[in-house]
Amino acid sequence: MKLKNLNMAFIVTTGVSVVVFIYLVFLGYDEIRTLKDVIKIIASIMFPIPMLFFVRFILIEHFLPQNTDDYKLKNQKPATLLLILAVIFGVGAMQLTEYLTGQKLENHLIFAHLINSTTISSYVLNYILYNNLKANGILSGVLLSLAIHVFFLSA
Amino acid sequence: MNPIITSSPTPKSNSNKRELLFTFQSIIVTGLLAFTAIAFFFYNDLSIVKGIKVIFAPFLSVVPLLFVLSILRDLQKGFIEGNYSKNEIIRFCAITLLITASFTGITYLLSKIDALEILLAAIMAILSAIFFLKSKIKDILGMSIVTGIAEGIIVYMIFLF
Repeated sequence: MKLKNLNMAFIVTTGVSVVVFIYLVFLGYDEIRTLKDVIKIIASIMFPIPMLFFVRFILIEHFLPQNTDDYKLKNQKPATLLLILAVIFGVGAMQLTEYLTGQKLENHLIFAHLINSTTISSYVLNYILYNNLKANGILSGVLLSLAIHVFFLSA
Repeated sequence: MNPIITSSPTPKSNSNKRELLFTFQSIIVTGLLAFTAIAFFFYNDLSIVKGIKVIFAPFLSVVPLLFVLSILRDLQKGFIEGNYSKNEIIRFCAITLLITASFTGITYLLSKIDALEILLAAIMAILSAIFFLKSKIKDILGMSIVTGIAEGIIVYMIFLF
């Protein structure tokens, strides 16, 4: 049954993103020193979940993906444009914030985790359920800019 | 006669799905509240000042809750089947934001409590309020309040704790 599968997909998405983040956090993060850090990280991972439930609660009717060729063709250009814009805007905003406050994102990993978990959860949700290509472009752009920022631009 | 029981899954309507989501959300909030209590308990080194109070702390809110639940009829008609209008979405998002802000403040107040039994009583009171919402206000209003509570606790934990 298709509807049931979609509902399952939603729950699996939420579960997977939680597991992935817990894994990432506790493997790659050597700055957990106090209980407070752990609590903050868990909270930043939990942050998107109630919001996702709320969005799903409101938008329950619009979820069926209409993944037709026509729809894809129509949305290719705006989606790509939004992707590029989001990357430029994301990198620019992060550089500017670092420049203005004089602090590195690496020193405030909570924010990175917050952006990351929120974007990935909404990305997967959008990908599976709503299939909105424009939203896909924006969310991919945010994730890409975060990755670019962390990998290349912060020496 | 067909001996095979055709166990067709009950057709799920949108209101059923909304109810399910509402249930999940309340479970999340309950978990978050427990998490908050444990976090404050360990981090602030709360001590039990009067043991007898700990035993009676839950009664303070659970007894009125049960009483109210037993005498009150359902306050809302339940979850709707169709879509919400734009105005409703905006209004309930605003309510959610408001509740988020106020619960960030309430969690801050909770962190100032330095006796375990009072914290326990406060958490139980919030929990009772959530169960009340869960059982009587089955509506988008209840959903936005519950979401607001969850986000408020999380925002406090991330930014202020």
